[in-house]
Amino acid sequence: MQRFNLYQEEYYPSPLMHVWLEFKRSHIALVGFILLLIFCGIALLAPLISPFDPNLQNTNAILLPPSWEPNGTINHLFGTDSLGRDVFSRLLFACRTTFGSSIIIVFVSVIIGVGLGALAGVLSGVRSSIVNHLLDSIMSIPTLLIAIVIVAILGTGLFNSMMAITLALIPQFVHQTRTFVKKQLQKDYVLLDKLDGAGPTRIFFRSILPGMVELIVIQATLALSIAIIDVSALGFLSLGAQDPNIELGVVLSQSLDVAYVAPWLVFIPGLCIFLMVLSVNIVGEGFRSALRNRLSR
Amino acid sequence: MVYDSIDALTYCSESNPGSFNPQLDTSSTTADATAHQVYDRLLEFNPENGRIIPGLASSWLVSADGLTYTFQLRRGVKFHTTHYFTPNRNFNADDVIFSIDRWRSDKHPYHEIGGGVYPYFDSLGLYQKIKHVKRINGYRVEIALFAPDSSFLANLATDFAVILSAEYANLLMKDGRPSWLDKFPIGTGPYKFVNYRQNQFIRFIQNEEHFLPPSGPKQIVFDITLRSSLRMAKLITGECDAIAFPSQSDLSVIEERSDLKLLEKPGLNVGYWGFNTSKPPFDNPNVRQALALAVDKTSLIDAVYLGQAVRAKGLVPSASWAYESSGRELGYNPVRAKELLEQAGVPNNFSMDIWAMPVQRAYNPNAMKMAQLIKRYLADIGIEANIVTQDWNIFRQSLRSGIHDTVLIGWNADNGDPDNFYRPLLSCEAIPSGTNRTMWCNPEYDALVDQALLTDVVETRRQIYHQANSLIFNETPLMPIAHAFQYQATRAEISGLRINPYGGIRFENVSRTAKENLND
Amino acid sequence: MIRLCIRYLNLIVLTILALIGLSFLLPFLFPGDLLTNISGITPDSNQQREALERAFKLDKSLFSQFIHYLENLFAGNWGVSNRTQLDLFDEIALTFPATIELVVYASVVSVTIGIPLGFISGLKHHNPFDFSVVTFSIVAYSFPVFWLALIFITVFSLQLEWLPTSGRIDLLFEVPSVTGFILVDIWLSDIPNKGYAFKDALQHLILPTISVAIVTTALFVRFVRRSIMDVMEKEYIIAAKSRGFTQRQIFFKHGLKNAIIPILPILALQVSTLITNVMIVETIFSWPGIGKWLIEAIYQRDYPAIRMGMLIVSLFVMILTISTEFLTRAIDPARERGVNATL
Repeated sequence: MQRFNLYQEEYYPSPLMHVWLEFKRSHIALVGFILLLIFCGIALLAPLISPFDPNLQNTNAILLPPSWEPNGTINHLFGTDSLGRDVFSRLLFACRTTFGSSIIIVFVSVIIGVGLGALAGVLSGVRSSIVNHLLDSIMSIPTLLIAIVIVAILGTGLFNSMMAITLALIPQFVHQTRTFVKKQLQKDYVLLDKLDGAGPTRIFFRSILPGMVELIVIQATLALSIAIIDVSALGFLSLGAQDPNIELGVVLSQSLDVAYVAPWLVFIPGLCIFLMVLSVNIVGEGFRSALRNRLSR
Repeated sequence: MVYDSIDALTYCSESNPGSFNPQLDTSSTTADATAHQVYDRLLEFNPENGRIIPGLASSWLVSADGLTYTFQLRRGVKFHTTHYFTPNRNFNADDVIFSIDRWRSDKHPYHEIGGGVYPYFDSLGLYQKIKHVKRINGYRVEIALFAPDSSFLANLATDFAVILSAEYANLLMKDGRPSWLDKFPIGTGPYKFVNYRQNQFIRFIQNEEHFLPPSGPKQIVFDITLRSSLRMAKLITGECDAIAFPSQSDLSVIEERSDLKLLEKPGLNVGYWGFNTSKPPFDNPNVRQALALAVDKTSLIDAVYLGQAVRAKGLVPSASWAYESSGRELGYNPVRAKELLEQAGVPNNFSMDIWAMPVQRAYNPNAMKMAQLIKRYLADIGIEANIVTQDWNIFRQSLRSGIHDTVLIGWNADNGDPDNFYRPLLSCEAIPSGTNRTMWCNPEYDALVDQALLTDVVETRRQIYHQANSLIFNETPLMPIAHAFQYQATRAEISGLRINPYGGIRFENVSRTAKENLND
Repeated sequence: MIRLCIRYLNLIVLTILALIGLSFLLPFLFPGDLLTNISGITPDSNQQREALERAFKLDKSLFSQFIHYLENLFAGNWGVSNRTQLDLFDEIALTFPATIELVVYASVVSVTIGIPLGFISGLKHHNPFDFSVVTFSIVAYSFPVFWLALIFITVFSLQLEWLPTSGRIDLLFEVPSVTGFILVDIWLSDIPNKGYAFKDALQHLILPTISVAIVTTALFVRFVRRSIMDVMEKEYIIAAKSRGFTQRQIFFKHGLKNAIIPILPILALQVSTLITNVMIVETIFSWPGIGKWLIEAIYQRDYPAIRMGMLIVSLFVMILTISTEFLTRAIDPARERGVNATL
């Protein structure tokens, strides 16, 4: 980074800036990051950029092929589905639902998970070995399996499936925060804080949390890719979002009925899920290796 | 179990049978899986021309007054020997008496087994028409009626009038497991039941002792595949030799491909949207009309049947002599619909259910899709619709108990008589037997339908049915949607499979010219 | 060591009890009639209702209901399904092995491909081969498994017509179920044309196995690669290098063992991910396993079936997890518990 250096001082980028500089060095990571930004844009702006109402049925124009096919029209970029709804608009809204709900899921589970984990770490008296062990075992069960169990109890629906996935993701954050906090509590700087008379709340928020942000971000990108796959898998199995909610997995499973005459209707929504997960994974990977490079220097 | 690819056939069916005894169920899935595989009837329809031909009865006499029928039974007919039953005697008059008395008499020990409802016979009121069923000797049975009935013989030839084994039934009763009678079926038919797993398969093996020389495949497997797209995929890969109800959108593909064959026949059927008239606000004819006015039928036919259907004005299709070409119907008029709703005091944002049947049928190849279309139309007049769907057998049980608001379903005729539309669909008698999905009971209508049977003069009957039509129009217990073509698809190498217009699928003429070997 | 055994035995027993307790409480959480949720039978009459209530001790205290539930559970008396009225024990005994079969084959594929690939790319990291392996793994890891399965069907079944789309074997073969593993069952059976049957079953296996194996293989590659990279940077390896050992000697003498042992449990734990993916893939390939069965039960709100299916799947996964952890600790006592993988 070129800077005008007035005072002839050495420039030390902040740790976070350092990570970003490392991150930028990888082109693939940058492409993933841009892709992720595009999905964020779609999630926010879907109602503004979609050319049609995604639920508008037009029985005069059913199963139109995408516009690059010889008899496709320019009005419907990706053609129409078996009820004459514009596939492009539906995809935009579906991305919005899938991506948006996954972000919410991760956000909520980070807050609850970190909170509980911090509590468990700071108030170390509460823990019992058995509870910890159970928590560890639960963590190793795939979130989707837990989500299916919870959906079976709560009933199907987008909100219920979001709740189920959130519940399934929380233990990971609890575990990580607790381990981290316990480790830090033994370090000297915390002891210093204690000698200064800081209470547990202050120690956590002022001393430990800032050092934990990167860890949480890494865990959150992992959780985000899991959440996207889980939301769409539940939608695909008709256990998650139901019809009026447009969700990528739902769009995919609805297209199965016309899979033979309109294979693109199956291909495109799946591709969206794939790209979404891929971009999250690439960004997560880039971030991790950037962090590793920073630490190893 | 002999396996030979030449002699076996896989048929991909669309759903699970409700029972293995068609007496208990009018669903065509049940009829397909049992009626012409496991069982025989006293009489049969000739599939070519619909004439009645001998079945288990080799000949029959009708008395001059039309009240007494005497059947001479075929000798030496053996019931199936299977891993769960070995017969000790041949078919005789006792089996006929047992099979008829089971649904006829509510005092019969087997009457209540399996629920005590015999939908086809109950909806026709047949149990009230029979005076007695008497054994004359071991191979001669007499059936006496209270009043002449010209359709009686035809009823004995339908899929539902199967002959069960009395010996097997008695054995089961003695062992205290009578419900096996309808789960592990024993009949005299061309195929023996082997085993069944829900949502997976039904397996049959040829009955080499059938009274007709055995023909057709040695082994038949029904591969139960609920999704029509998956059936299509299996047909393409050759996992299925024939499939039920190909999806309308795949029809052109099947016709184009040289390795597949499409069978089609105009169907004697009607697909409709029924309103549960026992439930407010659907007990108000104005509300029902408003709903019918709110939906554009043309677009339903375009999108769901892809044009492979005729718009329905009334219950019967144009192939029937009772068809009324000048019949009235409600057109698409959302403005009027809204007015009617306001008059009836239905609040804005009123919420109702549309039950969409989960299986494909000729009369409604995709009820789910149709429900989605209707939902949008209802939203235009300020009604919020929820789509309900369930497993097919549970779905029909729920409909019979009348918990639905409205339902997308239909009717496939069992014979060409218009009475087979008017009576089971809308008469009072058909509510408990579970074929009248609208719960609509109108004495005036019932009187008309009864009156129409008293004469043989077609012109008179037609007039009466037209009166019934206008009653249906005024009351709108249902909105008729379409009369559709019936389709089946097979691999090109399969020959001899025909769409049976009179009931369930039959395999006795099916053969395979050459099958690609399974090992390459 | 004995203390460790007791500790883990204790943990397993407690986990099992906790899961059974949870499954005992499920019918109270499910909507609908409690009696039907528990028994799977919708009573026709009041007498039948009372008889059933007595049979399930619903008139007694919650504790004696639980004891009764435990007794039935261990007696293999798991009740009947609401929709089919079939015995749940038999149903699960038929479907669960089918799932495990797919899991086993997919694990074998993942291990035989994923571990060697991970080693090679970890040893030669930052060369083109490593780069393509890393790219493959991150791409493969991002596939939604249901989409992958559908693409395989479209390409290999519908377009090329090479492989079948559904089931375990052509239904015309009637293979009696002995072990529940179709290939073993064919071998044990005395059906004619065994050879064809075997070939046919293998063809049915290919697509579902590969669809699930791809994601797991990608994970394996990443774990192994990272582990070998970490190990090869350790001092003892550098020391060995400086003593003039060849790369090959170093790898087989030190690298292999030290890289693989710490991640073995992590690899073993992927079996539970595999099970979840298998459950989804089953619904696409109509594979008659517990996933398809359970998801159908959820659609039809068949609560007795959901309860037992859930219990069995979660018991299996939990016991697998805990025993893996136990084995790791037994082999490597210095190890911290619950260590997570680094990707």
